[in-house]
Amino acid sequence: MVLVLAIGDLHIPHRAPDLPAKFKSMLVPGKIQHILCTGNLCIKEVHDYLKSLSPDLHITRGEYDEDVRYPENKTLMIGQFKLGLCHGHQIVPWGDLDSLAMLQRQLDVDILVTGHTHQFKAYKHEGGVVINPGSATGAYSSITYDVNPSFVLMDIDGLRVVVYVYELIDGEVKVDKIDFKKTATTQSAH
Amino acid sequence: MEPSMLGSSSTSQKRFPKLRGVRWRIDLGVLPSSLSASIDDLRCATADARRRYASLRRRMLMDFHLPRAVDRSPDLTMDNPLSQNPDSTWSRFFKNVELEKLIDQDLSQLHRAHDTYMPNYVEENVIIVVSPAPRVWISTRQKSFTNADTNTVTEMHELLTPLVYVLLVDLDHLSQVQKAYESHFSEFDEMSFSELNQVSDNRFRRSISGGMVIEKEGNQNGIAKVHSIDELDPDTKEILLLSDSYGAEGELGVLLSERFLEHDAYSMFDSLMNGARGVVAMADLFSSSPVVFEVSSSFYYLLSMVDSTLYSHLVELGVEPQYFALRWLRVLFGREFDFDDLLMIWDELFSSPNSICIDKDAKYRFKILCAPRGAFIASMAVAMLLHLRSSLLATENATFCLQRILSFPKNPDMKILLEKAKSLEILAIGSNKLLSSSQETSNKNKLAITRGYNLSSGSSSARTPPNQVPDSYWEEKWNLLHKTEETMMRSDGFLDSSGMKFLGERSILSRTASHPSPADGGGRKNKHFSVRHKLLDDFSQDINSVVEHMNSKQSNFLVSNNIESSPLEVNAGNHFMEELNDDNNFRRVTSDRTAEETCLSGECSSIFFIATHHSLSKNKDNDSDKSSITSNSCICDNDQEASIMEELCCRSYNNQLVRDDEVVSAANDEPKSGQEFVSDDGKPLTSKFQWFWKFSRSSAEGNLEKGGNQESERSSAAENTKNSCSTTTFVQTSNSQDVSKRGDVGDNKVLGTLRILGQSMLENIQVIETVFQQDRVQSLSLESFSNNILGGKGQATAVSALKELRKISSLLCEM
Repeated sequence: MVLVLAIGDLHIPHRAPDLPAKFKSMLVPGKIQHILCTGNLCIKEVHDYLKSLSPDLHITRGEYDEDVRYPENKTLMIGQFKLGLCHGHQIVPWGDLDSLAMLQRQLDVDILVTGHTHQFKAYKHEGGVVINPGSATGAYSSITYDVNPSFVLMDIDGLRVVVYVYELIDGEVKVDKIDFKKTATTQSAH
Repeated sequence: MEPSMLGSSSTSQKRFPKLRGVRWRIDLGVLPSSLSASIDDLRCATADARRRYASLRRRMLMDFHLPRAVDRSPDLTMDNPLSQNPDSTWSRFFKNVELEKLIDQDLSQLHRAHDTYMPNYVEENVIIVVSPAPRVWISTRQKSFTNADTNTVTEMHELLTPLVYVLLVDLDHLSQVQKAYESHFSEFDEMSFSELNQVSDNRFRRSISGGMVIEKEGNQNGIAKVHSIDELDPDTKEILLLSDSYGAEGELGVLLSERFLEHDAYSMFDSLMNGARGVVAMADLFSSSPVVFEVSSSFYYLLSMVDSTLYSHLVELGVEPQYFALRWLRVLFGREFDFDDLLMIWDELFSSPNSICIDKDAKYRFKILCAPRGAFIASMAVAMLLHLRSSLLATENATFCLQRILSFPKNPDMKILLEKAKSLEILAIGSNKLLSSSQETSNKNKLAITRGYNLSSGSSSARTPPNQVPDSYWEEKWNLLHKTEETMMRSDGFLDSSGMKFLGERSILSRTASHPSPADGGGRKNKHFSVRHKLLDDFSQDINSVVEHMNSKQSNFLVSNNIESSPLEVNAGNHFMEELNDDNNFRRVTSDRTAEETCLSGECSSIFFIATHHSLSKNKDNDSDKSSITSNSCICDNDQEASIMEELCCRSYNNQLVRDDEVVSAANDEPKSGQEFVSDDGKPLTSKFQWFWKFSRSSAEGNLEKGGNQESERSSAAENTKNSCSTTTFVQTSNSQDVSKRGDVGDNKVLGTLRILGQSMLENIQVIETVFQQDRVQSLSLESFSNNILGGKGQATAVSALKELRKISSLLCEM
């Protein structure tokens, strides 16, 4: 029952002042064990805030991030799953599934978390999962018209992951759930 | 560990004497308790209980990944992990997680802190395995346990621990039996194929005859070849049947099973908490309901009936019963006793049935006392309080009192404690009924007598005829005494504190009353009434100040018929029970108990020892017995120092008296009881003796003259010094006495006790010195009080006494 938060593209303070109040009230410290942040926070204050939610914070560099020390990609192991993290602006075309799959194979991860498109997406692809948590603040995006604030919470338990998607639609938090099961043996992509 | 046969109920022999776990399960109601319940019934009951728990657990401890049978689309807005809704499953989950963390913390602390509490047998991981049980239980009671905090859960764990331990012990026993009779437990699968073919017929035959599996060919060497189950002794047979995997209900019904440890522990825990439709339900004690108050007040009620001195003392100090009762009750005395003792107590506790034992329509005072189990709890608490009686009476402060109560001595004599509790239990049940007033008074009288007997005999069969001297006689005497004293009374408040201290001191002194060690007992025959009478007079004056605390409710004790009453008219007001029958043990127990009650209430101080001396003198032939009685009788606390002090002072007292008698008996015609006192020793001792008289008189006067000044503390301190000085004089006399008598007695025990004497004297010396230092300081500041004079006198004499003490102690230490 490991809870992993996937969040990103907040663009604070440039495009949004803060997280939506309803999201903020939900995100209380103590419940979440890991945070995967796709990038574009952009400032240190947001970093600190996320750090307060959970001590284990992983961030990759987005193109507007003010802290240049974040890595481009990150991989980590949580439970039985290998997770990969990348902002996504490096992968062209932006948001293209096949390209993302390439990255997934490159990183050799089960779950790939990317952002940049400000749109929530969750694909099951070739024995792995590609998740895009969207923008937590609903910040403006040059490639999408309709941006809803959203983020993703993953519940990793053994060989099974349950993905809860929280979206703020018309001022209401809507939750959705997707189940993924990892096959017992996954071959490496080489 | 051996099973406890202590306090086996007067009803029929318990089943499964060696299997505590099974016995407790029967007592708690998990298993059918009727004696005719067959093994199969037991197994079925076990299986049912386990099934119940399994389903409960599945429901309560959420497992999110089990496919739910009911395919309801969950309302995700509520049911998501981040939901703020307190009712959602996830919130419960998080709450449980927190609780789990706390529990783990507690458990590790528990194990670290109490190594004496729990034997190593109960390993941590086992407990942790079983720890879900309380959580499941709490979850089933969510409404009343919404704020189940750490303490509650810790207490629940402490309740759970002995249950688990007991189950584990049973398993251990089972494995031992299995080893011994390995053949009978072998499984089908272990048989080789050829053997199977050969013995297939045998197998069927055997299994028909009681579910036993085949005997292997080529059995292990050394193990008796038992061919059928009926050859085994009944206990082993029972164990065999209980743990047979192929009996009724299969594996689920195996009574002693490691796999289902958690389930069994849960069912025991559950029935303990619920009370199994009985009266005592632990759950009530955990929730903040008025039950707690009721139960604590039932303690005090019982105490007031048994020992009103202590009761009134506690009430005066403002020691509310809840303070300690809660802690005692919530873990059923788990924190007060060592683990093995605790198991004995719980044996007793569980063997008392939990069902209501009064008529349906009868009114009662306390619900808890309606069932024997509840009554036992209450009486156990009262027994514990009585155990601490002396030190409680000596404390002046509610805080100290509570401290004393809450730090119960670790190794009390369990047998006595339990016997007392059992006797009080009957009393408790009897007194619980609310009766009409007339009935009550008559009952009270009856109860007084029976109580006295109960206390003394320690068994409920106390129908021996009362003493030849009727109750009323002593009551008269007591009232007389009271009247004379009342005229001399000082203000209440003043005497309170000083009185209590004095009382405390006196109680120590009184404890001294005749405690000759058995070895010395042979020589202590005294029959010098006149001397004693004098002594008594003095002491009675002292006691006057203390008597204020003794109310006329002291009709608890009946006097032994062996006491010659005439010279003792002053003191006869106090009631004793000494059943000086021929039965030594009985006597020991009796006087033990009576002495406990009587001796340590201030009133009895001299009287008791006088009385015992009288009794000593009275029955020459029973001398040694009696002296041993009296020796036993004064040990009420297991406080080591106290007992040493007792020994010391008692012996000194005796010797003192003997000495006195010796001295005075020049004019007395009464024959000496075979002691050869060297007259040389007499003289110096005489002087000391006289000095002692002065002392006591002055102290008595001092007491009386205090009247309302604010130096109660000081005077009581002075009092203490005097008292301790008097004890030192006793010591001196006793020591010289002992020295002289060494030729007479010539016992090794004497030497040993003398050594102890020496050590305790050193302690006394230290005490005296410190007190003196205080005294000196105080006396400097205060001028105009008569006490000052006394203090000065006291100092001088005490100093000299000290010097002599030192000499003697050095002498002693050399020996």
